[in-house]
Amino acid sequence: MVERVTRRHRARGEEARGEEAQPSRMPSRRAAGELEAEVLAALWAAAGPLTAAHVRQAVGGGLAYNTVQTILVRLYEKGLIGRVADGRRHEYFPVKGAEELAAEQMQALLSRGRDRQAVLQRFATSLSVEDARLLRAMLRRRP
Amino acid sequence: MTISVYVPAALSLLLAAISRIVVARTAPTRAAAFVVAAMLCAAAATWGLVLLSATLLGCTSLVADEALERGVQLQDPVPKLIGVTAVILLIFGAVRVARVLRARRATTRELRAVCRSCGTGELAVVALDAPHAFAVPGRPGRILVTRGLLSVLDGDERRVVLAHERAHLRSRHHWLRAATEVCAAVNPVLIPVREAVAFLVERSADEHAAAVTGSRELVARALTKAALASGAAGRVHVWPAALPFAGCGVSARVAALRSEPPRPEPLVPSSVLALGVATAIAAVQATTAFYQLIYWLWPT
Repeated sequence: MVERVTRRHRARGEEARGEEAQPSRMPSRRAAGELEAEVLAALWAAAGPLTAAHVRQAVGGGLAYNTVQTILVRLYEKGLIGRVADGRRHEYFPVKGAEELAAEQMQALLSRGRDRQAVLQRFATSLSVEDARLLRAMLRRRP
Repeated sequence: MTISVYVPAALSLLLAAISRIVVARTAPTRAAAFVVAAMLCAAAATWGLVLLSATLLGCTSLVADEALERGVQLQDPVPKLIGVTAVILLIFGAVRVARVLRARRATTRELRAVCRSCGTGELAVVALDAPHAFAVPGRPGRILVTRGLLSVLDGDERRVVLAHERAHLRSRHHWLRAATEVCAAVNPVLIPVREAVAFLVERSADEHAAAVTGSRELVARALTKAALASGAAGRVHVWPAALPFAGCGVSARVAALRSEPPRPEPLVPSSVLALGVATAIAAVQATTAFYQLIYWLWPT
């Protein structure tokens, strides 16, 4: 594991090299911003704080460990994730911002009043029983 | 009044019928053809209604006096009932357009507010268990997902969701959908066209995600999981301003992803476009016919 003091500098160095190395490895080039979203999504999906190694596993797609480190440091500097020291390693978790407020706003949005619903209703698609059955079968058929 | 004033309405019906049939065989990137055709149809039909309404002016004393003064024999081009119906349809259309626009504006505003509450960055995550994903248009556009959706997917599948929503933002699909929503509000006959466009932009984003992740099978799997999770969480609403990841015709999208990649069929979009142009020509003809009725009003 990298020493904590030098990690940031190393990470900065990796940033430049990491981006050059990417195109050959991935089916299509993933920009740094896109990777940030993926790492953040992985941290949100997880039940608890993750180490860099676990983040790498959760993101998938064969990312280099150092790339994951770089992204984590960048997200941390932006204040989008927090970290706790666990022995010599760091564990990362998403910073939840105004979590309650966002959840409330979203809930309200998803259950709007009659007038909005009337306009929206036409667009509503619910998964029919038949569709759900079909989709489950498709998911199962997969090797 | 010639028959051409009614042609846009008839062609709208035809376009709607065609949309239902050909949508499955249209390359997803050709949604714009349907949008343009729908706009031409809606505009022509509205103009036709305006002309029909305007024939009612012949009954007003203002025009009648003028005609008497000039010794013009006033024609009664259409039955008054049709004129009155046209006025009513126009008013209804205006009300519906206002409602659609208001709902869209309100929804976009609220989605942006949720994003702001979630912090900065491209990705905004809401701590809710119901699985949802939206592309929120703006500068810059953002992706709003719930924790519930992220947690039912694995890393590769999450990348599919992100790529799908990015495709919506990058290709500005919200404009295509907004345009067809307004068209369908003006002219409800065009509702199937709106649905066709909604489906095609989803398919287009799916194919983009497949290109980015390198696997159509993976996209199909992510879609299936998201849809099943939504089904478990209750009814799924499809919002006009946001483009939900698992909304329009999920089964059809999954089936499309599991079959051969779409082959472009240039005939379909061009015939759809031709239909739109035909309505525009009919509208021009109707206008000429209307001018024939009223040209005497201008001083020579």
